[in-house]
Amino acid sequence: MDLMRHEDKRLITGTGKFSADWNFPGQCHVAVVRSVHAHARINRVDTSAAESTPGVLMVLTAADVTAARMSPIPSGPDIKGVGGQVISKGELPILAIDRVRFVGQPVAMVVAETANAAHDACEVVEVDYEVLPVVASVEQALQDDAVELHWNVDGNKPLVFESGDEAAVNQAFANAHKTSSITINSQRLYGAPMEPKAIVVNHDAARGVTVVHTPTQGMLGMRASLVAVTGIPAEQLEIVAQDVGGSFGLRGGPGPEHALLILAARRLQRPVKWVAQRSELFIGEWHGRGLTLAGSLALDKDNKITAIRFEDHANLGAYNCYFGGFIGTNNLSVTMGGAYQVPALYMRSTLVLTNTVPVSAYRGAGRPDIAFAIERLIDHAATEHGLDPVEFRRKNFIKKSAFPYTTANGSVYDCGDFHTVLDKALDLADYKNFSQRRQSALAADKLRGIGIGYYVEKSGAGGAPKDEVSCHFNADGTLTLHAVSGPSGQGHETAYAQIMGEGLGIDPQHINYQAGNPAQKLVGNGTGGSRSLYGTGSAFKNLIDIVIETATPFAARHLNVNAEDVAFSNGQFMGRNGAKGVSLIELAVGLYGSTGNTEKHPFDVSAETITGANYPNGCHIAEIEIDPETGVCEIVSYNAVDELGNVISPQMVQGQVHGGVVQGAGQAFSEAMIYDASGQLMTGSFMDYAMPRAGAVQSMVTDTYSVPTVLNELGSKGVGESGCSGSLPALSNAMMNALHHVGVGAMDMPYTPHRVWNHLQQAKLENTA
Amino acid sequence: MVASTASAAVGRGKMKTVSLQVNGRAASMEVEERTLLADALRDELGLTGTHIGCDTSQCGCCTLQMDGHTVKSCTVLALQAEGSAITTIEGLAPADNLHVVQKAFSNCHGLQCGFCTPGMIMATIELLGHTPDPTDDQIRQGLSGNLCRCTGYLNIEASVRAAAAELATQKASLPEPRTSVPGGRGRR
Ligand code: FES
Ligand code: FES
Repeated sequence: MDLMRHEDKRLITGTGKFSADWNFPGQCHVAVVRSVHAHARINRVDTSAAESTPGVLMVLTAADVTAARMSPIPSGPDIKGVGGQVISKGELPILAIDRVRFVGQPVAMVVAETANAAHDACEVVEVDYEVLPVVASVEQALQDDAVELHWNVDGNKPLVFESGDEAAVNQAFANAHKTSSITINSQRLYGAPMEPKAIVVNHDAARGVTVVHTPTQGMLGMRASLVAVTGIPAEQLEIVAQDVGGSFGLRGGPGPEHALLILAARRLQRPVKWVAQRSELFIGEWHGRGLTLAGSLALDKDNKITAIRFEDHANLGAYNCYFGGFIGTNNLSVTMGGAYQVPALYMRSTLVLTNTVPVSAYRGAGRPDIAFAIERLIDHAATEHGLDPVEFRRKNFIKKSAFPYTTANGSVYDCGDFHTVLDKALDLADYKNFSQRRQSALAADKLRGIGIGYYVEKSGAGGAPKDEVSCHFNADGTLTLHAVSGPSGQGHETAYAQIMGEGLGIDPQHINYQAGNPAQKLVGNGTGGSRSLYGTGSAFKNLIDIVIETATPFAARHLNVNAEDVAFSNGQFMGRNGAKGVSLIELAVGLYGSTGNTEKHPFDVSAETITGANYPNGCHIAEIEIDPETGVCEIVSYNAVDELGNVISPQMVQGQVHGGVVQGAGQAFSEAMIYDASGQLMTGSFMDYAMPRAGAVQSMVTDTYSVPTVLNELGSKGVGESGCSGSLPALSNAMMNALHHVGVGAMDMPYTPHRVWNHLQQAKLENTA
Repeated sequence: MVASTASAAVGRGKMKTVSLQVNGRAASMEVEERTLLADALRDELGLTGTHIGCDTSQCGCCTLQMDGHTVKSCTVLALQAEGSAITTIEGLAPADNLHVVQKAFSNCHGLQCGFCTPGMIMATIELLGHTPDPTDDQIRQGLSGNLCRCTGYLNIEASVRAAAAELATQKASLPEPRTSVPGGRGRR
């Protein structure tokens, strides 16, 4: 039995290498002292007791960070807002200087001979805090008399952003035949990759290179940010991430701990290791979502949408870190019209700082949130005005003939066929017979609902100027591929080997993939925005032709024919003279070492592609049943048709959809990061933060439909994040569909049994009143 | 940061020896009283296939077999394992001969990042040991102590079903099936 993926063998035998699995002789260990207050002045940090604890080597505080001239954590792009205003940022220092602004903020770091000794010493680092007033929510932070978190951020508002044409939208609303409005809350989450953050830094004094082993989704991005933070030149930093236990957007760039370990390793000239405890990651790793979107739409007398408007708020936490600001602005705006032909669009979004963990990307990073909002708005309007949700969508969809379609706020959707995808999904879900199923459910005292979510999302445009790849032919007839994009579960090793194997007629089993090998000096994007397949994968597609072109003259010589008379197919070079051919691999093995340098085979070539975003879309239809006695909801049917352009590996695509949908189900039914008014996190472990377990979604039917994009060589679109974008609206619409019939109105996620039951009781009271 | 000073002080500096059998071989290690079995196996014996995903016994990444039963090795002190026989993920496939459950996870795409996988595989072996033909509910029950953030569990459930079917076929064709876990002391 062949294994399905290249990476599986080591992962199923426990021989993979995750960051915490690295150990080096003479390594020491660290533990981090974190703020216990949501907002406080630091009067003094006394490390003397810790320093005299047996086994302690060093305690780092803000003074050490300042002396090392380290910069704060990258605070994201300089986004412009209303009236050209540029975002003002509260930047997260590596260690708190004179103030802490969230529970969990790093204050000091202990380095000791053992991890236990480091943790023990943390207990005796004395921090003299003077507690300050706390703003734990957007509402609190925006009050007139609210305490301001940063001197340079007025009213805790880094930016008010806008997109679209406000006047046109106002006009459309003034002329509207009907309107509908709804506010949705995409609650704060914790992405929680199963591999806890771990860092092992080994400074190689002989080479003058500091090697950082850490889970990351982008080795170049990680390194670039570390260069910015530490001031160490890029050539002196190497990032190693062999196996990464999930990333989901959290692991693009370093946290304060990375910089601190580098500082300690270089100072002590010893390897330094940190393996985070899960409970400190709940308060020490970026959170996700935290968005509120208030949407309205205007309809004409034929129920055509004439305008959509959003008023959004993004809770960034206590500091601007990485993508936080980008999510609440750009990512909410680009697809704010959803799958619909809407002549006027306008959104305004206020970014807000609060005394909570900084928010950055989590699977979708704003895309699922806007897809959720728009699709709830569509269903809500249909319910409110007695329209059929399917017909209402059909009537307003962007037609296939309208592509490429430029939205009213300037996004260009390159291609799509929304009507066909919707029809396929309706068939798959047996939508037309739903009312019978609802009747049978009613007979069993269950409330059954069905919900459609049609998402359109913009996959990642990429931050690097291009995606470069290269290859190396080995002595044993195997091929090694190189690129920047590193996997964290997506199966890069398998997908790239498949693309190259098919193109070159080589058994993919003989092709291996290495991400981020520093000797290759490649440029490219990390894994993010669902773009690794269509970006890096397209570059590999280009590499195929270059390898064949490069090898052809050698084949001609071997076959004793002119190069023009050589044809390549199925891994074989054939001369047109009918002579026996030679396989690419035979040829390559024969030429191994012929350059006089075994590192450089004559067929070792590189290729690249430059491709931006594309627009994956799809229709998910969920059916749920609620037990009104308990409020427990069950997803009884889930059907997804995703339009992803050309699919390279159907099984891995399905895996991405499964994972994304169940993460969406987690948000819909159980997950929430909850702070109390004093800024203490109430959900600081897997006991309180309820991630889905086996059985959360009991079955799922997935299918794909392909409208190939011309924007990249593979014709593929991103899939990594679409599961969340489809499931949030489908599940929520199904819930509201079930509950509307018994008089329950708006309800926020997560739809926990308790919350559902309460709403049902409330509705009962109101019905009998 | 939840560890209290009192509990952190327990066992500091006092090293003890624990002797046990790991994957069929005798092993002994020097540990503090407070050292967890999961940490000891990883740090002292280099068996890093046993993963640690949480500090509240919720994730199951550290699941292994102790005297034939699965335990979350983050909830066992290394000293409690004195004299016991441990099987970790590394002990399942001697001489490259993959266990049926390992193969099933790959074939059914039951893993993505693979971090939860050792624990999932160990939990599955325990489940199929006492319930060779599990219902869907029994599968979910059997995996209820294990978190996976990547797969959405559907392909993990499929892996368990495929492994059950394969084991049943093997059983039908072999008079004496090999014990599912080498080095284990038998099953309940
Ligand atoms: S590490 Fe043992 S249950 Fe999480
Ligand atoms: S495969 Fe990544 S956590 Fe399960």
